[in-house]
Amino acid sequence: MKKLLFLLLICSVSLVNAQGSVSLQFENFVGNEPVALKDKNYTNATGEQFSITLLQYYVSNLRLVRKDGSEYILPQDESYFLIRENKPETKTITLNNIPKGIYTGVKFVIGIDSVRSASDVSQRKGCLDVGGDGKDMYWAWNSGYIFVKIEGTSPQIDRKDPVFMYHIGLFGGIGDKKTLNNIRIADINFGEKALKIKSKGNAVIGIKTDVSKIMNGETNVSMAKNPVVMGGPYSAKITENYKTMFSFAGFKKELTAQPNTKVALGMN
Amino acid sequence: MENKVKLLFASALIFIISVSFRQADEPALFTIPSNFPKPTYDFSKNPLTKEGIELGKTLFYDAALSKDNSISCGSCHQQSAGFTQHGHALSHGVGDHFTKRNSMPLANLAWGNSFGWDGGVHDLDLFAVSPITNPVEMDESLANVLEKLRYSSNYPQLFEKAFGTDEINTERFLKALSQFMLTMVSANSRYDKYMRYEGVELSTAEIQGMEIFKEKCSSCHSGQLFTDFKLRNNGLKLARNDDTGRFEVTQTDEDKFKFKVPSLRNLTSTAPYMHDGRFTTLEEVLDHYASGVENSPTLDPILNQEGTLGIALTTDEKQKIITFLKTLDDDVFLNDNRFSESIGFSESKPAKKDIFAEVVDLKAVSPQTKATLQQSLAAYLKIKNALVKKNTDLVAKETESFLAVLQKIDKTKLTPSQKDFFDKINEKLAFDGDHIIEGKPFYNHQVDHFGDFSKSFYLMMASFKPNKTTLYYYYCLNSAQNWVSDKANESNSALLNNKCGSVQMKTILPKM
Repeated sequence: MKKLLFLLLICSVSLVNAQGSVSLQFENFVGNEPVALKDKNYTNATGEQFSITLLQYYVSNLRLVRKDGSEYILPQDESYFLIRENKPETKTITLNNIPKGIYTGVKFVIGIDSVRSASDVSQRKGCLDVGGDGKDMYWAWNSGYIFVKIEGTSPQIDRKDPVFMYHIGLFGGIGDKKTLNNIRIADINFGEKALKIKSKGNAVIGIKTDVSKIMNGETNVSMAKNPVVMGGPYSAKITENYKTMFSFAGFKKELTAQPNTKVALGMN
Repeated sequence: MENKVKLLFASALIFIISVSFRQADEPALFTIPSNFPKPTYDFSKNPLTKEGIELGKTLFYDAALSKDNSISCGSCHQQSAGFTQHGHALSHGVGDHFTKRNSMPLANLAWGNSFGWDGGVHDLDLFAVSPITNPVEMDESLANVLEKLRYSSNYPQLFEKAFGTDEINTERFLKALSQFMLTMVSANSRYDKYMRYEGVELSTAEIQGMEIFKEKCSSCHSGQLFTDFKLRNNGLKLARNDDTGRFEVTQTDEDKFKFKVPSLRNLTSTAPYMHDGRFTTLEEVLDHYASGVENSPTLDPILNQEGTLGIALTTDEKQKIITFLKTLDDDVFLNDNRFSESIGFSESKPAKKDIFAEVVDLKAVSPQTKATLQQSLAAYLKIKNALVKKNTDLVAKETESFLAVLQKIDKTKLTPSQKDFFDKINEKLAFDGDHIIEGKPFYNHQVDHFGDFSKSFYLMMASFKPNKTTLYYYYCLNSAQNWVSDKANESNSALLNNKCGSVQMKTILPKM
């Protein structure tokens, strides 16, 4: 019995050794300009000026794509992150226990998958806690998470309060409640480069998030005409726009210290 | 090893005791009435316990769930009104706001598959977040509610009893509320007893009514729950209907003006009727179905039979249906004290007379906050000394200094519950302080306000406990005169008059 335990121990140690960690560093841009909340002015494709006061989005269900096309799927419970522009520490997310190997890309859900969106309260921890970190990313009266939230002001909005608010969510509904399904997948390829995950050190993947694509794309959104978009049909157009807003921005220098590795359910 | 055996023995004993106890004395926490179908709620993910239900009930009746601590779930869901809001067509939230809908009756929620008039919430556990955060209902955030509970004197203990540890989190909060609401089963009407052959007979008119009901109403109000839980447009006049119901949730045109088919239990108590409470009597409701149904693209097909709108009903049939519907009134449910608000049960009842009951235990007070409050103590004692010397100008000046000290409280160093508490006390102190300052020429006016001022000051010190040494609160048994001091057995005849009766003393110990 003791021998068996010992063997098991050895096995698990070697398993741990066969794993590394990787971080994704999200950097928010408008076109090629880094996002600076409040202070900076930008222009959208319809020629309207705007500034951003709030920017946050979920990424979840991460998968790393191997050279041969197979995928390493992160354990579900450790695969929810809320990126907030005003909280720099949320913009780098660390994935642990990644099997050693060569990876050529990463995929994730922009928002929250439908299973988790319909799940029991016990499955809503960390950034999914509707009475905690996820409180401002949740529609209580129409149960569901807000996937992408951007707010700001634009002088072109002819209102007393020239504010725009795009709160995009909707996972398709549940039972006979059918809503839009605004879940989209980001599929990011590292191109020529490949990522080698080793047992030591922490590789860092730069991800550029070009939030101008929330407004510019197939549909060029006019803030003056559509200052507020939440659960309505127009949200699908914005979703179609932003589904390509994530791109690979090179590998960054490895973080010197191994970051805190213990991760609770639904992190960030 | 011996310990292990002991432990095993002890736990076996506890198990046996608890099982037999349950069997012997306690009714089951939830039973499925024999005439009901299987519940839809998954009890395995939230097993009911006596303590969990108790906690849920305390939360249900606690106004701390609302922003200004004025409204509880029970405010809009009153038991005697079948858990709706008495006489309100539209329910009434904080700050005298009205919602756009009638409070839905709460009963038999274990059988529901979506909640609210538009069915926007798919899980009972998640429902409470909606009224808590709605600006015209409780206008609060769940995170803030949890903070209030964490810093309350009673909830950590109640959570520990219910869930094993005193951790207060979203899941526990929501599941405790569900536990209580799930126990609210209405199945003891005369109709139910008739169906279960429990010795109740229905009258001929009631039976006739039941037959007409089955024929004309039960395609939507079906089964023993008297609803098919679907969302339908029942042809209410659109002129009054800017609430698009289900459409607001799904944004699909075919869902416009659709609302949940409600149960018909306890109708005598739940008036007015419809999602906006537009009908005050059942006669009006049946008149609507007989002759008031209005056509629209989403009108339920059942109410449009080849161009004939509504349900053909004679006056006699309407009366018989109503006679039958009244057999669904469940007095046992409406009076069951398992669901009733118990007096003194919850902590944050507004306007308590007893000042000592208003003291709360504010945990994790920052050193900065303590330091500022210690300064306010020094400033307070100066006001009191000036008052004893009857130097009214100095009293005013010292009061100004005192209020200036409180201005220095750094609110970013306060927890949400500390901030809530401080803001309230600070407002009262500022009110009485201003009177003391402006009442400068009148010593008696200053003394009057100093009483209330001191009471608030006591409440602040006793709750934040910034003091390094013991403080004393002196109060009159028969009047509102009182003061705080750093000395024991202080006699301050200057602050008293003959109405006082006897002076009592209470200590404020420093926090360990």
